[in-house]
Amino acid sequence: MLIKPDSQDLRTISFYFGRVLQVVAGASLLPLAWALLGREWAPASSFVLMIGVLALLGCALACRRPERDRLDWSHGMVVAALTWLVVPIIGAIPLAFSGHYGDVLDAYFDAMSGLTTTGLALVQDLDHLASSLNFWRHFLHFLGGQGIILAALTLFAGGAGLTLYYGEAREEKILPSVQSTARFIWGVSLVHLVFGVAALGLVAFFSLGFTPVRSLFHGLMTFFAGFDTGGFSPQSTSLGYYHSPLYEAVTAVLMVAGAMSFGLHFALWRGPRRSALRNLESRTILATFTATLLVTFAGLAALGVYGSVLGLARQGVFHVVSAHTGTGFATVPGAELAAWGGLAFGGLTIAMALGGMASSTAGGVKSLRIGLTLKVVKDQIKEVLLPEHAVVSRAYYQSGRKRLTPGVAQAVLVVSLLYVALYLLGAGVGIAYGASLQEALFESVSAAANVGLSVGLTDPSMPVLLEVTYILQMWAGRLEFVAVFSLFGFLYSWWRGK
Amino acid sequence: MRRLLVLTAFVAAAVLGVAAPAAGSEVEIADLLADQGAYDQSEITVRGELIGDFGRRGDWVWVQVNGDSYADEPVLAGGPLTGGNLGIAARIPEGLFAEGGFGDAGGYRHRGAVVLLTGTWRFHDPDRTGESYLEVTAMQVVAPEQRLDEGPLWVPLGIGLGLLAGAWLFRRRSGKARRGGT
Repeated sequence: MLIKPDSQDLRTISFYFGRVLQVVAGASLLPLAWALLGREWAPASSFVLMIGVLALLGCALACRRPERDRLDWSHGMVVAALTWLVVPIIGAIPLAFSGHYGDVLDAYFDAMSGLTTTGLALVQDLDHLASSLNFWRHFLHFLGGQGIILAALTLFAGGAGLTLYYGEAREEKILPSVQSTARFIWGVSLVHLVFGVAALGLVAFFSLGFTPVRSLFHGLMTFFAGFDTGGFSPQSTSLGYYHSPLYEAVTAVLMVAGAMSFGLHFALWRGPRRSALRNLESRTILATFTATLLVTFAGLAALGVYGSVLGLARQGVFHVVSAHTGTGFATVPGAELAAWGGLAFGGLTIAMALGGMASSTAGGVKSLRIGLTLKVVKDQIKEVLLPEHAVVSRAYYQSGRKRLTPGVAQAVLVVSLLYVALYLLGAGVGIAYGASLQEALFESVSAAANVGLSVGLTDPSMPVLLEVTYILQMWAGRLEFVAVFSLFGFLYSWWRGK
Repeated sequence: MRRLLVLTAFVAAAVLGVAAPAAGSEVEIADLLADQGAYDQSEITVRGELIGDFGRRGDWVWVQVNGDSYADEPVLAGGPLTGGNLGIAARIPEGLFAEGGFGDAGGYRHRGAVVLLTGTWRFHDPDRTGESYLEVTAMQVVAPEQRLDEGPLWVPLGIGLGLLAGAWLFRRRSGKARRGGT
């Protein structure tokens, strides 16, 4: 029998959801300050409206503290799913008022794309967009990549921390408490922020010849989009704007750092480093990166579009890193990417679908699940080949030796299959609107795996149903399904429960 | 009257034109982007707005040139939304660039200068590890830079301030109620 949620359930959810909105309202003061400093009055006005909506909604929802201080598992999941659905709606307000979007849905698409660190964009005339709005788009990457809820956890948590933490699709607690883990994650990110922006800014100033202010601006935007594996860019030509192998190399380092799990960051900072490289996840991502890179190289070589080995290597490595880490930066226009075709196209699509590491800012199936799926398949084959009474050891190494229980195997296979289904769903809708299988699959994988590379289907003139499909794919893909199903389950129980 | 028109045209060319573009077929940037390989090593002329940043690298200045509708009718000036930007990279010799006397490249509240650029289209240039760009040999300014204004949005600002006041009152009242309850 379905149990109808009671008023206490609703009060608990609304309280924590309200607190998260208050944190986002606080964070939104940054783009407002940016707009005021830049004397960008129109964007500043719309930021005030956005902050007003966030603050009022946050205060209204969190005005009554729940009697139970602990969040149930399902409550945490519902809060996470709601947060990731509603924050982009409010976050789209300044974008919608900018005059650079065809309609409100386009603005919501970009806000969802920003928050889920996807990077697909429907903004028009990006090259004339106000810098504060550009900052907001990229800051959405930062909020989403680091996790809005993680931000909230560092300020308040109580007994609510753990379920909220897992609700945001994070899988490992690095330190004993969730709050200390959240603080560690912020610490890692801030160190990368300082060094990343400095490195990119210096390259922009000394090597690209930009002015100091613009160097800093580009450094900051590229950092947000690179480290948080987002893929937005302040200029319409993405990373191709810079025409600099050095700038691309620094960005690639940040993309890799962003796609690494924070557990691996912890191991690399505090040791033991060797055991981190022994992890199944690390070995899997190295193997899949090498494989997709070789496939892409072979495809590009077969196409013969690059006259030099260095040219082929530069474009191939950068795009595979961008795809595999789920970033979505490109150095070539979408039309050219679409023309790659064949193996190169396949290599990129597979790299996007596989994604980065668990508990990172990257999307996709994730390397740990790929590694475990392969392990399950390998064990099954072993079982068939060995004598009937032979025992197959079902264990793997991931921060220590762990047993691969049927429960873990089932969870891994289910989520992996759900990703495949999500990829196919978007591809199906794309094909229904006349796109080729190749292009529809590429764009669908890009949306669902939160990558952002595009062959041109994501366009302001795209059909509404396709746009909504991509929005839902970005949302479900970012939350890795569990929180999304919890929200639907909660709503269904509310409707039909007794 | 006709003489006057011809004279005016010459004066305008002398003022705006830095160097007359050499012979090279004029290509829409949209067409160029649709089939870049077809123009490889060809001398072409493109028309577009200088946008973003002027990247001064030694003897060259790198800049993006946008050939979309926003170059002629920016959104802030009432131009319609026509999709994403259409831009290519251009590499202009420092001396030639200096003759243009440009202030800033195009961006927010600033329509950059619209120029005619003639040069060789380098598609996946092996000497620059596969980059594609226009190596400019001649440049002509078609329209000068244009400053645009955008003031505050009073209605959203007013509503926003009202909502903030409401949030403050809500917080104050719920704080009082909580203190009263305990």
